[in-house]
Amino acid sequence: MGKGGCAPTENMAAWLHGVNDLRIEPYPLPALGPNDVRVRMKAVGICGSDVHYLKTMSCGDYKVKEPMVIGHECAGIIEEVGSDVTSLVAGDRVALEPGQGCWRCDRCKEGSYNLCPDMEFFATPPIHGSLADQIVHPANLCFKIPENMSLEEGAMCEPLSVGVYGCRRANVGAETSVLIIGAGPIGLVTLLAARAFGAPRVVVADVDDVRLSVAKSLGADQVVKVSLNKEDVASEVEEIKKAMAKPIDVTLDCAGFEKTVSTAFGATRNGGKVCLIGMGHCNMTVPLTPAASREVDVLGVFRYKNTWPQCIEFISSGKINVKPLITHRFGFSQEEVVKAFDTSARGGSAIKVMFNL
Amino acid sequence: MGKGGKACDASTENRAAWLHGINDLRIEPYPLPPLGPTDVRTMSCGDYHVKEPMVIGHECAGIIEEVGSEITSLVAGDRVALEPGQGCWRCDRCKEGSYNLCPDMEFFATPPIHGSLADQIVHPGNLCFKIPDNVSLEEGAMCEPLSVGVYGCRRAKVGAETTVLIIGAGPIGLVTLLASRAFGAPRVVVADVDDHRLSVAKKLGADEVVKVSFNKEDVASEVEEIKKAMGKGIDVTLDCAGFEKTVSTAFGATRNGGKVCLIGMGHCNMTVPLTPAASREVDVLGVFRYKNTWPQCIEFISSGKIDVKPLITHRFGFSQEEVVEAFETSARGGSAIKVMFNL
Repeated sequence: MGKGGCAPTENMAAWLHGVNDLRIEPYPLPALGPNDVRVRMKAVGICGSDVHYLKTMSCGDYKVKEPMVIGHECAGIIEEVGSDVTSLVAGDRVALEPGQGCWRCDRCKEGSYNLCPDMEFFATPPIHGSLADQIVHPANLCFKIPENMSLEEGAMCEPLSVGVYGCRRANVGAETSVLIIGAGPIGLVTLLAARAFGAPRVVVADVDDVRLSVAKSLGADQVVKVSLNKEDVASEVEEIKKAMAKPIDVTLDCAGFEKTVSTAFGATRNGGKVCLIGMGHCNMTVPLTPAASREVDVLGVFRYKNTWPQCIEFISSGKINVKPLITHRFGFSQEEVVKAFDTSARGGSAIKVMFNL
Repeated sequence: MGKGGKACDASTENRAAWLHGINDLRIEPYPLPPLGPTDVRTMSCGDYHVKEPMVIGHECAGIIEEVGSEITSLVAGDRVALEPGQGCWRCDRCKEGSYNLCPDMEFFATPPIHGSLADQIVHPGNLCFKIPDNVSLEEGAMCEPLSVGVYGCRRAKVGAETTVLIIGAGPIGLVTLLASRAFGAPRVVVADVDDHRLSVAKKLGADEVVKVSFNKEDVASEVEEIKKAMGKGIDVTLDCAGFEKTVSTAFGATRNGGKVCLIGMGHCNMTVPLTPAASREVDVLGVFRYKNTWPQCIEFISSGKIDVKPLITHRFGFSQEEVVEAFETSARGGSAIKVMFNL
């Protein structure tokens, strides 16, 4: 039996039953292990992958074969802690890291737990997600947030982690000129992270004027509007280079299309790095050889590792302000859940759609 | 006027192998440029298009005939291996030490820069490396291809704990194999389509060899076979072939968080499973020639840690007829690994 709090009566969650079929239904919680905590969810954001699961019941190689609770960008309040938990108590406000490695394999032991073959990650089948009244989670994946940080900002640590990890992989620092392709939620958190890491100049490219203006307001030095046509790659590369006005050290492709990867390759300087954050189709036809012959390294980014403390530090210190990214809010009811996902799926002016529970 | 050497008029006597057009190599006079203060005269061997006749060849070694007025490190008679490419030494890449990426690189036999298959050439003194007496001039010439293998291993950080897969057992795959072993790789698997080349790889130290096909549909099954041959996670794959199939195989075979080095140059646009590789954080590192590798290559060869001699399979003299035969032999591939001119 855990310490503190009272057991829930009926825990509800948003279950994905099929394409466009989300239902709020009971979600019986597992028993509280000695190193687990029970968390009352307060803020849960919607990610593009959640939308993808809703629309297709799959994401990459992952397929939803039975009903699954959706959602993974979350923060809440501790209700109860397991018998061996000493670092957290009931009442603590925490941001949650979704993915649990096995902690035994070579990747985990090396610290690359994001690459653990047995990773258990919220809302990646068959692991249930966190859009629920309450969930049970390992205590070491729950990070206390300071008083000056809201639970919504706590939930934003998840997407922000992608940007932070991308910047770490690419060694973005005070001397790195950065190009970000794609000004969606991930491109924007990557922009915020790049600035926080001290990048002296950041150019953002996108097809959408509204998103470009958001990028500008969030700190992009220049924005470049690009097209959806592959034939425009060469001319857009020139335009982007002009906008940066100096060689581009790092390009973070936050979109993941053949066109954006090709643009990234063309725009990055000899010996620079391209970080592939946006996930594209399996097979892509891209100008790999010219990039390789200029030693433009291509680094994939899969989720993140060990980023929560830094995200919390960036947010609570004010170095990063994620609040402008939260554009829409919904409550946790059947009707609102459907509306929220519709809003997120539409994109456009909807950047981060947040549930307040 | 330089120091030492014969005050011969090199321009009337000097000959070189000129590329005039497709399959059109002619031995003709090659007037040498004047010797600059930091040059030496030695005797001896994409986007780029040959627009006018160009001297061919860039893997070479020879004997210093004459040194420029400011040369202090070399004297006439020194036996040297030559690094083909000269950076501008002024741009950001050069100043950072990545002179192989210099946009104004001047490289033997990359148009419009003449190559070194000639009686004599003039070259900067700092790109000529003395070789010890126990290293032959042929081994000196082999430093150039070996440099590609050495640099690839450096980029991929091959060391005593790195399991290595090499795709392609041609000359570059083989020097990369030699380099991997020299860097201490504990286990090296080599894949190729050709039985003979695989047997050469085995003789040169590959722990296992895997025969693969030309069919893209075989990638998945070959990846499994390769993984079995390695017997443990593959940390680094060096693709020394450069085809969509080999790149795809490299991606599939390399472990999460590992590295794929693209040494073989392929077609511009390639259709490859980039996303699965990226989502396993298999990093893709291009390799363009080399930088600062000659001293290490010479050390590896002279210490016996690397033996390049088995790679030299055919030898020819420097005459019109032999030049044609030599290139045909090299073009045929197969049992011809490194074709060497002796001048």
